[in-house]
Amino acid sequence: MFDVIVRNGLVVDGSGEKAFKGDVAVKDGLIAAVGEVSGPARREIDAGGRVIAPGFIDPHTHFDVQLLWDGAARPALEHGVTCIVPGNCSLSLAPLKAADRPKVVGMFQQIEEMPPEAFTQAFDWSWEDFAGYRDAIARNLSINVAPLVGHSVIRLWVMGEAAQQRTATPAEIAAMQDLLRECLAAGAVGLSTSFVDLDEHGRPVPSRFADFAELDALSAVLGEFGRMLQCVPEFYDVDITIARIDQLSELSLKHAIPTTFSPVFDNTSTPDNAPRILARVEEQFARGARVWPQMQTRPIDISFSLLRPSLFFARLPRWVRVLRQPLEARLHSLNDPDTVAKMVEDLGPDGGRKMMGGLIVRGGDAAPAEMVGRTLGEIAAERGQVPAQALIDISLAHGLDVAFLAADMGHEDTDRIGPMLAHPLVHIGASDGGAHIASFSTYGDTGYLFSEFVRKSGRLSLEHAVRKITAETADIWGLKGRGRLTPGHAADIVVFDPATIDRAEERPVFDMPGEGMRYVRDARGVDAVLVNGEVAYLGGAYTDAKSGVVCV
Amino acid sequence: MSGPAEAVIAGAEIAAGHDGSAELVLRLRYPNGGQGVVVLEADKGLELMAACGAAHLDELAGHSWRKLLEGTCST
Repeated sequence: MFDVIVRNGLVVDGSGEKAFKGDVAVKDGLIAAVGEVSGPARREIDAGGRVIAPGFIDPHTHFDVQLLWDGAARPALEHGVTCIVPGNCSLSLAPLKAADRPKVVGMFQQIEEMPPEAFTQAFDWSWEDFAGYRDAIARNLSINVAPLVGHSVIRLWVMGEAAQQRTATPAEIAAMQDLLRECLAAGAVGLSTSFVDLDEHGRPVPSRFADFAELDALSAVLGEFGRMLQCVPEFYDVDITIARIDQLSELSLKHAIPTTFSPVFDNTSTPDNAPRILARVEEQFARGARVWPQMQTRPIDISFSLLRPSLFFARLPRWVRVLRQPLEARLHSLNDPDTVAKMVEDLGPDGGRKMMGGLIVRGGDAAPAEMVGRTLGEIAAERGQVPAQALIDISLAHGLDVAFLAADMGHEDTDRIGPMLAHPLVHIGASDGGAHIASFSTYGDTGYLFSEFVRKSGRLSLEHAVRKITAETADIWGLKGRGRLTPGHAADIVVFDPATIDRAEERPVFDMPGEGMRYVRDARGVDAVLVNGEVAYLGGAYTDAKSGVVCV
Repeated sequence: MSGPAEAVIAGAEIAAGHDGSAELVLRLRYPNGGQGVVVLEADKGLELMAACGAAHLDELAGHSWRKLLEGTCST
């Protein structure tokens, strides 16, 4: 008898091969049979009209902290994600000496925007080494986790304060090698490093003080295990990024390791950047290097409030002058009718309908609930105002703490992004799940892949899209026995409606420790998610299953 | 007729940054005719505009690339 049979679905098995009608049977946490399955099961799930696919794998997340109180990494799991890679960008929660915790907490707060209570109230911080962290999260997992270990924390462990001051000595590098070896043996899926990130004081994180000899030595250890080097290059400069691609390629070739870097995104103001990066990647793969660029599916939005000056107004000189003033003077100007009248005039005859009418009022701050999610144009019309005037008045009425969102301002051209996502050397990822939580939602990129690039534009076939975020990801990361609906593989399964799978609108929730706020997107069109053979999400609700594992 | 002896800002645009903020994308033109791009985060972009006395993005054009380093602007 099988444990579970998912019946009558369209099986998209992760290989990229043509989908077929059939069943998927599960026993003892593994795929037991695929096709027309006869025989009984303790539980059957009807997948009529639905796709049965391997669970999705998200290779770039920052759920390190959240996993300590939320083993499902909500809402990642409900989007069909059954395996996440935390520990990116040089930061992980282990190995970390107790005395160094405040430093790393600051770095995490800078990246994740978690409230302080997340680190002081939500879990018992009982570990220092990587095995301790692994055991701490493993107790409560509903989702699978393939954790990276962060270069910055390895440096901090070995060098202390000097980790953010200088390059390492040969003895220190040797000590880092030993520590990395210990972490990999304890279940780390690779090492993450960053050439970009800052701590909460605006200082470069420790990994940025490493010289090439250090990175080379650590890559040698990765080579002993055949594990991944993840890197955040200087993505704001395409030439430096290309230089980093070359550097990663040398490390890949020398030590026989896979490497990956992110973010890579496309903007109309720099249309040559992404194609140049992909061209260099192609050249390096042709040499035998493995240097996988990660590209996100979702567009990038711009958000701002009048609490801080934003370049959103850079084409409005008077707005820039007013908003760059100290808060008291800024408020004085915004309360001055003559100044405001001139600011509104600057928008031209339409009063900002074109530039500001499509702005969306965001929740999570002082914005009144009745405005949240609506466009400024609609609200202004109701008030009998032009959008520019409404933006100022609404902001003033709520202490300037009302955020507005300009949607799809970057990485938004489906006709350009689609072919890049379909490129055989582009690794779909870079979701940043669990990071930037108070700025924007980092969830639902997989739903967007299907809604925008499969269903709406047809840039990828259903089978291709599934392969890109399942088998291909598992292969890139060396996650054995995952990413395919093949007998003997882990029974990580998602059942979804290909006609409706999507990400919902962004919304604020207050579910972080200390009632901290974050933006999320709910899943649409996902019926069921199985993790290692157990039903973890069904019919819009999470179950009590704790079948996730730390996997490598 | 001789061209400029050093790189100048050839143009500027606003783009969406990875972290959801608006960033300033500067196009630099080098004396040999080559062009390059520099991306500045919001605070630095606004500082550059102020230092250059630029009330509008288009007014950044023609200023020396050195102003990115010096924080003051001259043509």
